[in-house]
Amino acid sequence: MEPREVTALDEPQLVLRRAATRFEHDRIAISFSGAEDVVLIDMAHRLGLDFKVFSLDTGRLHPETYRYFETVRDHYQIQIELLLPEPAAVARLVSDKGLFSFYKDGHGECCAIRKIEPLRRKLDTLDAWITGQRQDQSVTRANVPLEQADEVFSTDSRSLTKFNPLANWTSNEVWSYIRHHDVPYNSLHDQGYVSIGCEPCTRAVGPHEHERAGRWWWEEATQKECGLHGENVVKIIG
Amino acid sequence: MHITFVKKILATGEPCRKCRDVETRLDKSGHMDRIDRILIADEREPESPGAVLARELSVDRAPFFVVENEGVQTVYTVYFKFLKEVLEVDVSSADAAREILRDNPELDFI
Repeated sequence: MEPREVTALDEPQLVLRRAATRFEHDRIAISFSGAEDVVLIDMAHRLGLDFKVFSLDTGRLHPETYRYFETVRDHYQIQIELLLPEPAAVARLVSDKGLFSFYKDGHGECCAIRKIEPLRRKLDTLDAWITGQRQDQSVTRANVPLEQADEVFSTDSRSLTKFNPLANWTSNEVWSYIRHHDVPYNSLHDQGYVSIGCEPCTRAVGPHEHERAGRWWWEEATQKECGLHGENVVKIIG
Repeated sequence: MHITFVKKILATGEPCRKCRDVETRLDKSGHMDRIDRILIADEREPESPGAVLARELSVDRAPFFVVENEGVQTVYTVYFKFLKEVLEVDVSSADAAREILRDNPELDFI
């Protein structure tokens, strides 16, 4: 039988294999958001790649997402490490600004405490991580590559590699995979949720709305877009 | 040691939000005294000194700091790293995380 030509649809599996080959088991992990990036876990499972898996438990996720973590844990017989925010930092934020400060001040401060700081702590223990980031998710992800040196979380003494196996996949391709392989998915997707984050900051979107419209909808999209380069010195990211 | 602080002025004539924030924090903490030179990268003026320097150094974000020390030039685009490594100031992990997110908005989707 003629070997089948490798296509873009095989890309994620190739990237996962490469990642598993290059990094020690204890030094690489999949970041699972509790949404459609479950395909990474499914692919790894089918390939026999025993990656560690972690998720950010911000404390504000939907009940459906917490139940979904358990579904995935049972289905694949894996451990999912839940990363919690620093209690003192959350207590300070809530005490100073209340439980819903993000509606007034923007989501940055809350996300930094509940997501970024725990993520940074975790990544300090790894040499590589694997995300479900895709180029079609938002303008800020338009250039996400399959593999990159993670300049954000690398330190002077340790370089971190970031794999984005789904970078070139579309949402349709992800969902085709989920349906074809009967992959368990977050029940919120059946209620019109596309991108799923914390409960107060996520909502269902209409059929023709971009998934970004379901996150932090009260903030101006332009707040996130500011780039400038050389010849038209027009915008330096700021 | 010679430190240059480059801040951006938007096409509207307003300072960019992050530049304003950083400048305020430098002022309040008294660290502005450590800055030797402030340059403006004006979106309306491609030849403004800060814009020229950004091009020369291939820097695509503002604000940024250029530190020259014993002939070695280092560029800092991350404020908390500049604080920690150059001004030797303790930075809280919450502040550092917030700046990481501000500079890398795609991370909030994680």
